[in-house]
Amino acid sequence: MLALLGSMLILFIVGPLVRLLFMASPSGLGSALADPELQASIALTVMCATAATAIAAALGVPLAYLLARARFPGRRLLLGIVDLPVVIPHPVAGIALLLFLGRHSAVGGALASLGLEFVSHVPGIVAGMLFVSAPILVSGAREAFVTVDPKLERVARSLGDSAWGCFRRVTLPLAGRGILAGGILAWARSVSEFGSIVILTYNPKVASILIFDRFTAYGLPAAVPAAVLLLMVALAVFALVRLVEPREHR
Amino acid sequence: MIRLDGLRVRVGSFDLVDISFEVPTGGYALIIGPTGSGKTTLLDAIAGHAPLLAGRVLAHGRDVSSLPPEQRRLGIVYQQYHLFPHLSVGENIAYGLRYAAGDGSEATATRVRALAGLLGITALLERGVRGLSGGEQQRVAIARALAPRPSVLLLDEPFAAVDPATRTILRRELRVLHEAEGITTLQVTHDFDDALRLGDMVAVMAEGHIVQQGRPEDVFRYPNSAFVARFVGTGNVVAGQVERTGEPGADGRFAARFVSGTLELHVIADREGLAHAVIRPEDLLLSSTPLPGSIRNRIEVVVERVEHLGPVVQVQLAAGRDLVAAVTTATASDLGLRPGVRVWLGLKATAVHLV
Repeated sequence: MLALLGSMLILFIVGPLVRLLFMASPSGLGSALADPELQASIALTVMCATAATAIAAALGVPLAYLLARARFPGRRLLLGIVDLPVVIPHPVAGIALLLFLGRHSAVGGALASLGLEFVSHVPGIVAGMLFVSAPILVSGAREAFVTVDPKLERVARSLGDSAWGCFRRVTLPLAGRGILAGGILAWARSVSEFGSIVILTYNPKVASILIFDRFTAYGLPAAVPAAVLLLMVALAVFALVRLVEPREHR
Repeated sequence: MIRLDGLRVRVGSFDLVDISFEVPTGGYALIIGPTGSGKTTLLDAIAGHAPLLAGRVLAHGRDVSSLPPEQRRLGIVYQQYHLFPHLSVGENIAYGLRYAAGDGSEATATRVRALAGLLGITALLERGVRGLSGGEQQRVAIARALAPRPSVLLLDEPFAAVDPATRTILRRELRVLHEAEGITTLQVTHDFDDALRLGDMVAVMAEGHIVQQGRPEDVFRYPNSAFVARFVGTGNVVAGQVERTGEPGADGRFAARFVSGTLELHVIADREGLAHAVIRPEDLLLSSTPLPGSIRNRIEVVVERVEHLGPVVQVQLAAGRDLVAAVTTATASDLGLRPGVRVWLGLKATAVHLV
């Protein structure tokens, strides 16, 4: 009975994806690959997702280490804040970012005066992606740090390592695969983001918006090849995550 | 030499209070105490991993209290050894050598080989640490801690994760290693056997305090409280009342009677009132007739239980209070000791230690 119930859910996940993969003909895929607009869109998506992941890593890994190791007042609140974007509907996140980073807000205005504009600009795409994907990276990195016994770090310190040396020679090598897996998942989440980006920066179009655009303008046949290409990218990333994530998480 | 001078440490809601203790240069000292008494916290504080609220840690005269762990030159080996799982055995041992003065690849290799030879782990140097036995892990962890020639070695329950047979071997090896390296060593343990077999000095901890310190034999023979007596396994600990029967001597001590239920013993005391009598099982003499001579306490008792522990037999006696005596198997056989047998118990008044 348990197996039957589980099989129904698995079928529900796999079925639509297999159906989509078989919808695209080789010639359709070939022409999609040669489509300059789709090529530019996928390149933009990959570039923005990579930038968002890099920013999430630079700011999120130290935060994840702090949350894994330190006990301080407000830690639980901080953990909740980090996870907040997960429960916020993405169009709502888009509107919130628009209000926060738009030219008429204090922050957005100040940044615009420095030449950094978000709404209808590429940084808006990165901001949307960062907002939804950062929690994934921080959670993954925090879990990876938690699995590294603090006593290993104490031993390393007693053997002469500074705090940074110990982090570099012990903590990072041991938590590295978990952090990398979190980073790849965050990158994949960025690639698939639609809801917040459609509000912040409709143009230039990332792949998810281009697929939506073609579906609403030209119907299913025009959207399927692009959708299949994006699905293939997602599956490749998924395979990569399975390859790098720590054995005990598999 | 390492000296702890009035240490006060707080970790969560747990406090270490007024910890003062000294291990002479080249000495081997142990901190013993039950689980939760603060032993590991104390080691962490000494090593610089738990902040001091008060007091000082002096290593060979140098105040290291405000130094970060990497500048204290104190080697530490934790209970679960904590070998770096991403490094080989050789790399683990060499870990701290990059910071050692005059380090070079040749010097590092020489030191690693020397320690591996001393600890009998040369064959393991190229291996990963996963799959090592508890004893092998311990040897690697000790070699790693000793490699950068720390001024003091701190050991946290080093025998807790190995079987009894390995423990015996490792204790012997550790003593030999300590003599070979001449390093000042401070070990924490919950096993007083470690103190008796390894230590020059011992301190007993309870609930964040040192409650007694001294030479292991003295602490074992003359515990200063019922807690210490029970913890170090001195033997019989009986609560009762001391009543004076004689005049005090020049040292202030006097002949007295110790009463606990129907058990009455002649004792030498230095105070009256409530007390615990601590009696070693070896000091309880058994015979089929009342023992002659200077023995003040002669009581007829009934054997309740006989337990053979190798060459020694533990005999539980009903003597108003339960007492345990230790005799040889030959004595047990000669006296025909078995449950229900009546024997005479002899105990010198001076063999009763009152706390």
